[in-house]
Amino acid sequence: MRKMRWGAAILAAAVAGAPVQAGAQTLTLAVAAAPTSVDPHYHNLGPNNALSMHIYGALVDTDAAAKPRPGLALSWRAVDDTTWEFKLRPGVTFHDGAAFTAEDVAYTIARVPTVKNSPGSFLLFTRAVTGVQVVDPLTVRMTTRGVTPLLPVDMTQVHILPKGLGAEPATEDFNSLKHAIGAGPFRVTAWRPSDRAELARNDAYWGPKPHWERVVYRMIPNDSARTSALLAGDVDVIEAVPTQDLAKLRTDKRVAMAEAVSLRVAYLMLDLSRKDGQPFVQGPNGEALTTNPFQDVRVRRALSLAINRQLIVDRVMEGAAVPTGQFLAPGSFSYVADLEPPKQDLAEARRLLAEAGYPNGFRMTLHGPNDRYVNDEKIIQAIGQMWSRAGVQTKVEAITWPSFIGRASKQEFSAFFAAWGITSGEASNPLRAMVATFDAQKGMGSANRSRYSNPALDAVIERASAITDDARREQALIDATRQAMADVALITLYQQKNIWGMKPNLRYVARADEATRAADVSVAP
Amino acid sequence: MSATSQEAAPMPPKQETPFRRFISEYSESPVAVVSFIVVVLIVAIALLAPWISPQDPYDLAQLDIMDGRQPPGSRSMETGLFFWLGTDDQGRDMLSGIMYGLRISLGVGVGSAVIACIIGSALGLIAAFAGGKVDTGIMRLVDLQLSFPAILVALMILAFLGKGVMNVMLALVIVEWARFARTARSAALVEARREYMEAAKCLALPQWRLVFRHMLPNCMPPIIVIFTILVARSITLEATLSFLGLGVPITEPSLGLLIANGYQYMLSGKYWISFYPGIALLVTIMAINLVGDQMRDVLNPRLKR
Repeated sequence: MRKMRWGAAILAAAVAGAPVQAGAQTLTLAVAAAPTSVDPHYHNLGPNNALSMHIYGALVDTDAAAKPRPGLALSWRAVDDTTWEFKLRPGVTFHDGAAFTAEDVAYTIARVPTVKNSPGSFLLFTRAVTGVQVVDPLTVRMTTRGVTPLLPVDMTQVHILPKGLGAEPATEDFNSLKHAIGAGPFRVTAWRPSDRAELARNDAYWGPKPHWERVVYRMIPNDSARTSALLAGDVDVIEAVPTQDLAKLRTDKRVAMAEAVSLRVAYLMLDLSRKDGQPFVQGPNGEALTTNPFQDVRVRRALSLAINRQLIVDRVMEGAAVPTGQFLAPGSFSYVADLEPPKQDLAEARRLLAEAGYPNGFRMTLHGPNDRYVNDEKIIQAIGQMWSRAGVQTKVEAITWPSFIGRASKQEFSAFFAAWGITSGEASNPLRAMVATFDAQKGMGSANRSRYSNPALDAVIERASAITDDARREQALIDATRQAMADVALITLYQQKNIWGMKPNLRYVARADEATRAADVSVAP
Repeated sequence: MSATSQEAAPMPPKQETPFRRFISEYSESPVAVVSFIVVVLIVAIALLAPWISPQDPYDLAQLDIMDGRQPPGSRSMETGLFFWLGTDDQGRDMLSGIMYGLRISLGVGVGSAVIACIIGSALGLIAAFAGGKVDTGIMRLVDLQLSFPAILVALMILAFLGKGVMNVMLALVIVEWARFARTARSAALVEARREYMEAAKCLALPQWRLVFRHMLPNCMPPIIVIFTILVARSITLEATLSFLGLGVPITEPSLGLLIANGYQYMLSGKYWISFYPGIALLVTIMAINLVGDQMRDVLNPRLKR
């Protein structure tokens, strides 16, 4: 049996290597980062969740703009402050033929905390749930600890498993495909870590039937190799088109592109944990400072105004980003319509610096990772140039991600560049993680590595994120964002774009959440 | 053929010092002479870079991202500076970048080779002279060192120590000292049996004097040859490490890092960012290797006519 499966896999691989022929209905796509497991609850990581979307399916799905839409649940409502009710989709079956019911939801929520050795737990999304009641086979209620307006958003990340898998299914059994059973548009037929997964269409899928009978899901992390594979016709669709190849690919007739503004916002943080002096800031002649210039909002504003965001987007990102002065892109929930990205104004920046007591500027070092975000080390050099022109003599240092994030979390840098993926698609997430005062116990400020602290703003954020009514919460979040940006709690730079490249006869519905969904790839009419 | 017949012709008698003989034998090969001139030129460019380069490529304030990725022969829109070899993505003049890059490449290459030479030769001489357990100990360490690929050892060391010019030099010293030790030991073993060593021993000179005053100068020729080869190898290794992103900081690129920066733009046809630093690296390494080859031929007594 096992031998046969391998034989089939090799045969499939040989077929997959060939370009798509008319009628073959095989789609070969190349993703940029390898999922670490087929277990949907093992590792909360973008690449894993993107693969899970093919095989499993969550109560709440998200559309291309990352807004919630019905998935395995048809509708949901808050019964009271601490209870959410989900009405489930009738007539759904899992790959093994079992019917999907409320029992499976209860089973899944109970399974999440039992996953062993998880490098990134999905408990993050189910922690608030204190109880699951099966009201009837198609109705389930979740009681939460405190008011949890974002529970439906959290449920977009929790893929549902059939209760038939038994008590505490092991991650290894998912990777061997024994347990890889869901209600998604595809079944997984082969899994080779860091190389490829192979999928076959689930003809019993509840949603629109995908065009592709078979999908070869290849993992090609090297940027040039991925682009070359597309140009050579080895793959049909690639994600994360490298920015340096954009200019060329946009004019290449062999390639069609699809792009969407992502939920990832690039930002700079200035250290506010110190009152006297800074490890990487000196006076204009290299003398030690006894003050922390960043404590003065005028200095923070000057550094923000010194940056030409449009130029960075055009020249470094090759247009694969949009300049911003807030967390989210236009059209998102809680986007502040009248908050324009700051325009570069060197004269005003110098005036603010002089007013703050630094007429000759100062010297500083800007840190950033060199292997994590798109063009990360080029961005910090460009910002170094711009700050130097405003009178702040800037050096830059790019270091490898694991070491970078460890040091940034210990406030070892004076200023650093990073980016944040807003998974929930609304401003409460960055406000609570990056602006709210750091408090590990309350789970606030988990990514507030500058240690910015503004008690008045904390209160506004806390109040806003506890409103269940969407319209009122949006207004409150807009107010909080406005205050955070006016006080330059952090300097937001741009939102990245997600860019897909594909053969000219294909179309893809570009998504804000970076996932490449085979079901959303169609043949151009 | 004509060279041999010239050789055969009787040479006018003139005072022949070893140095003069070396010069005359060395200049028998025109390629070697040209290579030597190229090496001298490259060293001069590297030393004089701050005075002769059009731009300081390490000063962010002098760069303008508006000038990024300009092809060779274009002019800066802001400063009017002429870019002979184009610019990289940050608007860094490639010609200046190459000049400063040579500085780092040569500095790291020569610096690490000198330190490795001192440590390796000393250990090799000690091994040869002391013999017994000391010899076995040192030489097994050398075998161990040489059994690992140099790039792998360097990668491990840099992964452990982190980036930086000093760390790259340290890594290069660690991967290279063993070759010096092996060369110095074999040369010393030959020299130790010579009469002058016996004579020196009979004078009851202290050991350090025997080793460093009498034996070392006579072991120098093979060490000098291996030195030139290892300088070229160090430059290649540094370029490789920088290319892999483990070498020098991004704002102070060496040749390897310049090539790595441009490599991403190869597909989009912006060849000059990688191409010219690559040529500079190629010429440097080839010239040093050719000089080393000729020196090996001249200094090798077995090839003496």
